Amino acid sequence: MDNEEIKKPSQANLFGVLNKYRGLLAVLIVLALLSNGLTLWVPLIIAHGIDGFLKSRVLLSGVLWEFGIAAALIFIFTYLQSVVQTIASERVARDLRNNLSQKISGHSYAFVEKTTGSKLLTNLTSDTDSIKTFVAQAVVNIVSSAFIIVGAAVLLLSLNWKLALVVLAIIPIIGGTFFFVLKKVRQLFLKTREVIDRLNKVINESILGAALIRVLNSRRPEDAKFNDVNSQARDLGLQILKLFASMIPVITFATNLAVLAILTLGGHFVIQGTMSLGNYAAFNSYLIILIFPILIIGFMSNIIAQAQASYGRIYEVLDAPDPLENGTLNVPLKGEVSVTDINLKYGQKPALKDITLSFTPGSKTAIIGPTAAGKTQLLYLLIGLIEPDSGSVEYDGQNIHNYNRESLHKQVGFVFQDSIIFNMSLRENIGFNTEASKGNMDKAVATAELDDFLHTLPQGLDTIVSERGASLSGGQKQRVMLARALALNPKILLLDDFTARVDGQTERKILDNIAKNYPGLTLISVTQKIASVEHYDQIVLLMEGELIATGTHEALLHSSPEYAQIFESQKSTSNYE
Amino acid sequence: MSFLSIVFMNYTLNTNSASTQKTSIAEALKKLWPLILPEKNILFVALGAVVVNAALNLFAPLLIAHVINVFVPAKNYHGLMLYAGYILIMYLFALVTSYMQTWLMGGVGQRVLYRLRGSVFTKLQELPVAFFNQNKAGDLISRINNDTDRINQFFSQSLVQFVGSVFLMAGAAVFLLSLNIRLGAAALAPSVLLLIFTQAISPWVKKKNFVSMQTLGGMSSEIQESLNNFKVIIAFNRRDYFNKRFQEVNEQNYTASITAGLANNIFTPIYGLCSNLGQLILLAYGIYLISIGSFTIGLLISFIAYVNNFYNPLRQLAALWANFQAALASWDRVHEILVMDTDLLVEKGETAKKPGAVLEFENVNFKYPDGKEILHHINLKLEQGKTYALVGPTGGGKTTTASLMARLYDPTQGTVFLSGRDIRTYEESERTKKIGFILQEPFLFSGTVRENILYGSDEYQKHSKEDLEQVIKDDGLEKLLERFDKGLDTPIAGSGDALSLGQKQLIAFIRAVLRRPEILILDEATANIDTVTEELLEDILKKLPATTTRVIIAHRLNTIESADEIYFVNAGVITQAGSMEHAVDMLLHGKRDS
Repeated sequence: MDNEEIKKPSQANLFGVLNKYRGLLAVLIVLALLSNGLTLWVPLIIAHGIDGFLKSRVLLSGVLWEFGIAAALIFIFTYLQSVVQTIASERVARDLRNNLSQKISGHSYAFVEKTTGSKLLTNLTSDTDSIKTFVAQAVVNIVSSAFIIVGAAVLLLSLNWKLALVVLAIIPIIGGTFFFVLKKVRQLFLKTREVIDRLNKVINESILGAALIRVLNSRRPEDAKFNDVNSQARDLGLQILKLFASMIPVITFATNLAVLAILTLGGHFVIQGTMSLGNYAAFNSYLIILIFPILIIGFMSNIIAQAQASYGRIYEVLDAPDPLENGTLNVPLKGEVSVTDINLKYGQKPALKDITLSFTPGSKTAIIGPTAAGKTQLLYLLIGLIEPDSGSVEYDGQNIHNYNRESLHKQVGFVFQDSIIFNMSLRENIGFNTEASKGNMDKAVATAELDDFLHTLPQGLDTIVSERGASLSGGQKQRVMLARALALNPKILLLDDFTARVDGQTERKILDNIAKNYPGLTLISVTQKIASVEHYDQIVLLMEGELIATGTHEALLHSSPEYAQIFESQKSTSNYE
Repeated sequence: MSFLSIVFMNYTLNTNSASTQKTSIAEALKKLWPLILPEKNILFVALGAVVVNAALNLFAPLLIAHVINVFVPAKNYHGLMLYAGYILIMYLFALVTSYMQTWLMGGVGQRVLYRLRGSVFTKLQELPVAFFNQNKAGDLISRINNDTDRINQFFSQSLVQFVGSVFLMAGAAVFLLSLNIRLGAAALAPSVLLLIFTQAISPWVKKKNFVSMQTLGGMSSEIQESLNNFKVIIAFNRRDYFNKRFQEVNEQNYTASITAGLANNIFTPIYGLCSNLGQLILLAYGIYLISIGSFTIGLLISFIAYVNNFYNPLRQLAALWANFQAALASWDRVHEILVMDTDLLVEKGETAKKPGAVLEFENVNFKYPDGKEILHHINLKLEQGKTYALVGPTGGGKTTTASLMARLYDPTQGTVFLSGRDIRTYEESERTKKIGFILQEPFLFSGTVRENILYGSDEYQKHSKEDLEQVIKDDGLEKLLERFDKGLDTPIAGSGDALSLGQKQLIAFIRAVLRRPEILILDEATANIDTVTEELLEDILKKLPATTTRVIIAHRLNTIESADEIYFVNAGVITQAGSMEHAVDMLLHGKRDS
């Protein structure tokens, strides 16, 4: 397991991300070198001015001009550098996010469920941000530091190679410290990101479950949960800090020791007469030039380690195998659906066992059964949200995989059991599929009995509903979701217990509307109420994943005692309805 | 509106306008102070380390210069070795102080981050449901994670350098002025321009950072919403739509971040320019002073060297200042949450007693902050031990009525009495103990069925596995647990997305019953449970103590047939239905306004 953990991120080459932005980064580096180079020129101009003054007792106006031009150029180059740097880093982040979103949107429901939304959220925000910081700060700093280190090292070697070798002896010490610390720190950064995922989850749940927490007065356990993860984040942060807090002084000290060695050893050489005083002074000043970039690289190593850990996590998503090939079949459906020998496991427990069913075009089928019978799973299989472990789903005699997914989803409407409302206008919530024509929209809204409700809203369809639909009642949400499915003008409609929150009168009207406005529609409806489906062509009874019985209401009453029992449980009140 | 009406607190956080509070630095530090206070001593030690470290870094080069300029040309071995010894000691000290400054300041940053996150989260827990209806989960997450992290970055990384730089600058400035006041003042003059420039531009920079963090929050909301509802996106073939919406917010964030980045980066070139300007003035003025004979060339050369000690840290300060502005902008976003207060305060003092009913509504009106009135002049009296049913068309006000009973909201007008006392005078723990509310939208925490059932109940947390099973058996709940493949130990992942709504409702039911409330409210709590299991639930409800009052909201008639009293709720008005037949009649034929 440990092995895998280390292996994965190492496949992800952080620097590979930069490949696409070579041009921009090249400009950036050139600008950085220009402004740094010009900055080195300024002392020379001053020296020149003083020398000139010593010679002629006047300040040469040429010197002032040179100085002014240099200052202006430095200003321009550093400004341009900051502009290019900002654009480059933001562009890398934006493109990375877009790639991620494209990848995620191409994936299956199961993938998102498995990876969890909180991890993907961290991928798209914090992880991407640390790569942004890497591009914004590390790239330029490392290149210019490396440039200065190499330049200064060459100068040192040319001045006195013996002393230079003493200086270069510290490089293995520094390299070793880097290697040791970064190896440790990368694991810690990975852990930190995972803790942030969990932090996201706890916050997310405390927000989605806000009402429940208030009803149960369970603030304290929530605080405890959050504190637990928050302390983990802090402790990891402190562990990382400890490593860096030790690494930076060690590197500085090693460099300082080199300086001291040069001072004494070089002093010795000068006193011995094997080195000139001028060279000795120059050697010392170049050495000071060498120290600063080494420190910069020390600071940047933090950013690199963090970015590497983050990129490893992002790469896991980008590198995940694509979901099943999309089929090519793009034909109007007739409305026949069948499932053959379906088996599905949820954890260890089978959720569906050897299910074979068929639904003829234009027929109406009700699926009933106790809670946790596998009804919802069956619908999810039909629409391709989940894949069966064995068996097949067919539309008009063709396997679901042969169909182009988009084409299939355009013709099959699905009304989910839980209310899923997006924070946008009702019009967008219903015409979720942009191809919904006005005619289809109006028909869907009328069928779902939403007209009266819409009239009470000053802005009608253009009313914006809040996230999680807090401004709508349960029944209103369910009808909006029905309208969403109907706006597709579907050939097949799958309903998952959609009338549970709608009163009897409205339910009846809606079902009548569907029959009237969508003739020829194949209807597959999971429901609890037998009364409203008695006249259906087929009733399917599921229990604990097993198909108990299929048939018409009349037939099942005689053949299936389980069905009769369910019917009995509803009978007492059905005479009112 | 009478004086009784309550002004609604606006819980909407600032997410689209760019207006930020104008906080001066002193004010901002004052606000941050409570977070730093526990770190005061550590902070002082750390600042001491920063100052010593900066001083050591300043003096070591001076000693080196002395060795090169004096001892080596004089072939003074003793001086060379002596000074080398001094320098070594200084480096050893620097080793310790540099470790201390990073470790101590970084520690302060981490702990401030920890406390800040904790206090935002605690504040979230204090705020009422209305707050969550008005704000997006993703934006809140972004504030707790990303904004607090910005503040941490400033504390752990920038503050050390900040203090070090200011110290070095101050030292250099004093040194320059004491060397030659006129020349010193001239060389430092551009920094006054910088001060004015920085003062003038900082609010703008902060604003740009604020907008950038806002768009990050917006993007986070979008991601959150899409990922939570991913199955709809797939089933409705809107993968492209997800992409499009994401690209839109991503692009907004890109534009805002670039603007913020450019704003942050404006300091560095300007500070650089001023630093060069200072040297230019120094050169020109210095040579003028020499030419009139009041300065020497040797002094000018050392002056030029020293002025770098002032301007180099100043240049570093440019980047740090941008970090500071970003931290302030994030602080504003975090602070917005911290200053919010719940409007559901526990009222003190004795209020009018209303003996008789276990729950009573007296002339209650209610409207949501943004909308029209939902409930009009409701008068309702619930007696102990009875079962009440609320029926009526969707959107009629049933859930709102139930929410007022549990004080998720306060009425805009009128009073709700719980056991004869104004419900607002109850402590939260007392009130929630009396009222069990099974919400319309069941919510599960990731964990196990057991954890979810015991959630928020101190009493059962302490029970052993066997005791708990016994309690469950006594209440007749064990049959319900058969619906979960591993019973109490069935794992629940990702807020229970793998469970059906019916299963979630069962868990909510078991949880509420185990708490033994005096009033049990079921808001369509069994709507997705099959009718056979529902009969089981009914038996369990019947077995509750005779003093338990039940309020049932349902559409299915068999759910409500055992009610003692049926109320018809339509268009914000509650009428007593009398008999079941009458209720059904109203449901089927009654005039309905919603």
